[in-house]
Amino acid sequence: MSQWRILGLQEFPGAFNMALDEAVADSVRSEESLPTIRFYTWNPSCVSIGYFQSLEEEVNLRECASQGVDFVRRITGGGAVFHDRSGEITYSLIAPEPMFSKDIIASYREICGCIINGLGRIGLQAEFKPINDITVGGKKISGNAQTRRRGIIHQHGTILYDLDVRAMFSLLKVSKEKVSDKMVSAVHERVTSVRHAFRALGRDAPSRDGCYNALLEGFTEGKDWDFGRFGGRELSTAKELEKSKYATREWNFMR
Amino acid sequence: MQRLKAELKVAGGKLVRVSVQTEGGRVESLKLTGDFFLHPEDSISKIEECVRGAALEDDGAEIAGRIDSLARRDGLLLVGFSGSDVAKAIIAATATSKKIE
Repeated sequence: MSQWRILGLQEFPGAFNMALDEAVADSVRSEESLPTIRFYTWNPSCVSIGYFQSLEEEVNLRECASQGVDFVRRITGGGAVFHDRSGEITYSLIAPEPMFSKDIIASYREICGCIINGLGRIGLQAEFKPINDITVGGKKISGNAQTRRRGIIHQHGTILYDLDVRAMFSLLKVSKEKVSDKMVSAVHERVTSVRHAFRALGRDAPSRDGCYNALLEGFTEGKDWDFGRFGGRELSTAKELEKSKYATREWNFMR
Repeated sequence: MQRLKAELKVAGGKLVRVSVQTEGGRVESLKLTGDFFLHPEDSISKIEECVRGAALEDDGAEIAGRIDSLARRDGLLLVGFSGSDVAKAIIAATATSKKIE
């Protein structure tokens, strides 16, 4: 059985979070690091956009500036996400490709299964909704995005703990087409969070730490794992990538 | 030259946005954005490039065909959208401009 390194919940700025993911992927590829699952949050709060999105089409940059919210382009496709500092938990799973299904949707299903397992531990019945979402009561609670580069599968995603719809609306430019397709007129009718889902059940939600612990158990069940820390080279590579790539205008305004 | 824009939400898939310039009934240039997935990611420029000069007629059959054959040749994986979705969005963008004219 493969050994896994777990990097416990840590908080960083968006560009550094994305740089850490890439640095860890490099290090797993060269077998300097074990396959890794890391958990993180974003400080300051940040909007991340998919690799193929246009920052200006998706994000209200003036609002970001006035609310002190960061922005960053991911190396993965998918949509724009508002990472509220205290409203969600993000994970990244980085491992050699052969450890997961070759089929993309099947591998989303496998990795999202860990989140569904975790949410089940706090009493939420969640479902995988292809291509890359997890829903509770038919509403999205987790979005996920995957890339495969030079033999490494890298999937990251967020689990919404609380949802500030007003802040999200003010920061993201939501496509009318996308909303109309779901036959609803507002984001909050198709997105939920741990707290909202518990409210709907008429029960008190666990703390975010409680939610994190459940996700940690969901991701580690059946794995040979141990807590680890970033390697020196991972941190220096990440600092370099933050400066040369993820914090640059060239990268973030690329499309 | 004016850029024509349209977006298409693929049923059960992702959002495809096109910004296109045309010349003489053919695609002159394309910028493709959206929340779709494409592996490998940096092949997006190949997709944008391959439709240059493709005819806008026949509901974009040539556009779709070019993207599909590029994907087959280079082993690209389009997730949440297809060549025919890009073609539909391009045709929608150019049809809108005809109405405006």
